[in-house]
Amino acid sequence: MAATTESVKADAAEAPLLNKKNMFAGAALYIVFYGWVRWYEGVYGWSAGLDSFAPEFETYWMNFLYIEMVLEIITASVLWGYIWKSRDRKVMSITPREELRRHFTHWVWLVMYAIAVYYGASYFTEQDGTWHQTIVRDTDFTPSHIIEFYLSYPIYIITGVSAFLYAKTRLPTYQQGLPLQYMVSVIGPFMILPNVGLNEWGHTFWFMEELFVAPLHYGFVFFGWATLGVMGVVNIEVQAISKLLKKDLA
Amino acid sequence: MKLLKDKVAKLSFVALLAATSASMLYTPTAAAHGEKSQAAFMRMRTIHWFDLNWSKEEVKVNDTMTLSGKFYVFSGWPETVDKPEVAFLNVGEPGAVFIRQGSWIGGQLVPRSASLELGETYEFKVLLKARRPGDWHIHAMMNVQGGGPIIGPGKWTTITGSMKDFVNPVTTLTGETIDLETYNLENTYFWHALWYALGLAWLAYWVRKPMFIPRSIAIESGKSNTLITATDKKVGMAFTAGTIAIVAMAMASTNEKYPITTPLQAGLLRNMKTFEMPAPTVTVKVEDATYRVPGRAMQMTLKITNNGDSAVRLGEFNTASVRFLDSAVLEDTTGYPDDLLAEDGLTVSDNSPLAPGQTRTVQVTASDAAWEVYRLADLIYDPDSRFAGLLFFFDEAGKRQMVTVDAPLIPVFI
Amino acid sequence: MSASQSAVRSRAEAVKVSRTFDWMILFTLFFVVLGGYHIHYMLTGGDWDFWTDWKDRRLWVTVAPIVSITFPAAVQACLWYRYRLPFGAVVCVLGLLLGEWVNRYLNFWGWTYFPVNFCFPSNLIPGAIVLDGILLLSGSMTLTAVLGGLAWGLLFYPGNWPIIAPLHVPVEYNGMMMTLADLQGYNYVRTGTPEYIRMVEKGTLRTFGKDVAPVSAFFSGFVSIIIYFLWHFFGRWFASTAFVSSENI
Repeated sequence: MAATTESVKADAAEAPLLNKKNMFAGAALYIVFYGWVRWYEGVYGWSAGLDSFAPEFETYWMNFLYIEMVLEIITASVLWGYIWKSRDRKVMSITPREELRRHFTHWVWLVMYAIAVYYGASYFTEQDGTWHQTIVRDTDFTPSHIIEFYLSYPIYIITGVSAFLYAKTRLPTYQQGLPLQYMVSVIGPFMILPNVGLNEWGHTFWFMEELFVAPLHYGFVFFGWATLGVMGVVNIEVQAISKLLKKDLA
Repeated sequence: MKLLKDKVAKLSFVALLAATSASMLYTPTAAAHGEKSQAAFMRMRTIHWFDLNWSKEEVKVNDTMTLSGKFYVFSGWPETVDKPEVAFLNVGEPGAVFIRQGSWIGGQLVPRSASLELGETYEFKVLLKARRPGDWHIHAMMNVQGGGPIIGPGKWTTITGSMKDFVNPVTTLTGETIDLETYNLENTYFWHALWYALGLAWLAYWVRKPMFIPRSIAIESGKSNTLITATDKKVGMAFTAGTIAIVAMAMASTNEKYPITTPLQAGLLRNMKTFEMPAPTVTVKVEDATYRVPGRAMQMTLKITNNGDSAVRLGEFNTASVRFLDSAVLEDTTGYPDDLLAEDGLTVSDNSPLAPGQTRTVQVTASDAAWEVYRLADLIYDPDSRFAGLLFFFDEAGKRQMVTVDAPLIPVFI
Repeated sequence: MSASQSAVRSRAEAVKVSRTFDWMILFTLFFVVLGGYHIHYMLTGGDWDFWTDWKDRRLWVTVAPIVSITFPAAVQACLWYRYRLPFGAVVCVLGLLLGEWVNRYLNFWGWTYFPVNFCFPSNLIPGAIVLDGILLLSGSMTLTAVLGGLAWGLLFYPGNWPIIAPLHVPVEYNGMMMTLADLQGYNYVRTGTPEYIRMVEKGTLRTFGKDVAPVSAFFSGFVSIIIYFLWHFFGRWFASTAFVSSENI
């Protein structure tokens, strides 16, 4: 037992508090991947994405949808499963330095969440506006929807839940219960995905003009507010890290 | 060494961003449409487009072409679509590949929405100026408030040249000639950059000092009043007063530079001039109509009476922009899109000239793959199983008359 | 054992750790708030923000400030009361404008080829600086709501006028008068967006003649005050650090 603790301590002494390499690699992964997605939209949006009844639409867009859905389910299962399975069962007995290191790792997750939310809620959502105001919507699964709703939203959901699970399974701070605002900031934006049901229902029944401020879209607005829960997460974290640093910062 | 590593990391990050942004700006070509998704009844019973003409099939950037023709606002307009009391003559094209230089209904310019009457025919014209090279499907199109876009026939048109050469000169009422493609761009960038820089400066002032953890500790320990210094307040005052001053000065100098400005123009155009079609002397009664699903053919039993003074023959059945012709009577010479033209798609059991005063009951079959390709066969899934269309009859002198049909449709599955 | 009691090895390391967290927190706050604010703004005032032929003296001036003061009020409620950091409004607006500009340039222009001079966003920064400035100087939520909220509404139109005035120069076009902004909307075809969905200018009472914009701005400032209060308390709720028991969910 003692030997194990010693070896953990030794490893901990070696490892940096913040693994910058992981952070930049993670950020690069999102940016390169989404850069490729944007390139794909640019090429196949115009050449194969305007007529949902054309065979090339099936090839380039519906297949994209099927593949991304399968990959998302696999990624979520593996990632969440791994974070849960490898949880620290003695989380309350870690050293303060290890705790600080885990806070940093947690913040790497949160930085990834920020990138994922930016692409989902800002970049691809407003992009959907320009596509639908330009072309005539002829399916629920337009090229911009296949990217926005069924790729960028699941990706931020996967990332957000991963961050939450990481905090819950590895940080003492989160052992006192369920952090309300953390749940708001992850579950609220998650609810944007089921809200797609309302959106498609409305657009299918009434074939609305592409008015962005239409009340039909307010479900997205309401759940978008939940991103503000990130302020609660910041405050919980600042309080926890302050406890770790207070003595040395004074 | 570590510094070097950090620098390399930072530089590669910048390179990555640059590469990504570059890939985002890739210019693609080619395209198509969206009309097939529209319920068949909507295309058959709302706006009937005919006599369409696309003046060119290939256009150079900066050159113009016209899309012109007529449309009949169907009198049996379906209940589920709002009447075209507010309608906008649009063009179905994938983005502004052509700019719309002008559009007219009955000779009146329609930059705004117009009110249309059921049962009337209108002449229209859209003048288009080529902007973005590629092969584009250009549709006639009408947007109806409460009904959505009603897409008419589309034709492939090629734009050649380079978008870089595109210009859009306009002379204002203040006598200045500008290029609307790039006009005001630098001014927009300048003001946005200036204000963004001021916002960043404000942020930078606060983030240069330690932020979250030390300030939180100070507040928790009751020292919140130490966190804002006298200098901070002075800076705050300068930013606030400076912002108001810049806004006021910019407003004043803008008003001096642009003394003449007008509000955005809006408002509905009413009393559009209709097109008088010759009054038909032929009457048609639909005895029955069926759609044979396996044969992709629609069959109608029509009782036709000729009340005119010249013998007539049925030459065309036009529905949802698909034209079924009897080539013995009518051949298309307008270059109508192939996929919407069934040159021999109309079969009439007896299409010999129907003499004045005579009545004849005939079987008319309209068959073509277009029923499937354009998803008109999906009519059988519509909640209001009716069809409608235009019949064109021709007399001995070649004079044309238009008769509308509107009747229930019975599908035949076996 | 003593090593395990301190998370850091020196004061210098503590300072560095604290500073590193500063950047990570700011980055996360910036982009997550950007995402939420952007989706909120584009779906409550987006059409006015997308196109120059929607940027009128009546509804754009009225709607844009009212719907955009929300997130700044909420973020100020967190950053000021917990950290005495008076940049809540500016950080929100910088985020929103970054999200908008990236999208207008890379997608409106880069994907669907609308000229940038037709689809640039509204400028919200003057109001944001003043809102933060008033909070810093007064330290009061009430004063910020009343003075700042009013200023937010009043500064919006003059803050944008230098950008849009050139587009309000009139032109005679095929026998009709329109502004250059109207002409942009007419020339650059938006297939899915017909003219009649524009919510601009249509109103019967024009008692104040050409001075419609100040009246709209004043009204907008008034509603912005109320929205500021409301969102301040939303912000406090979102900034709370409460934990709930798993039995309660």
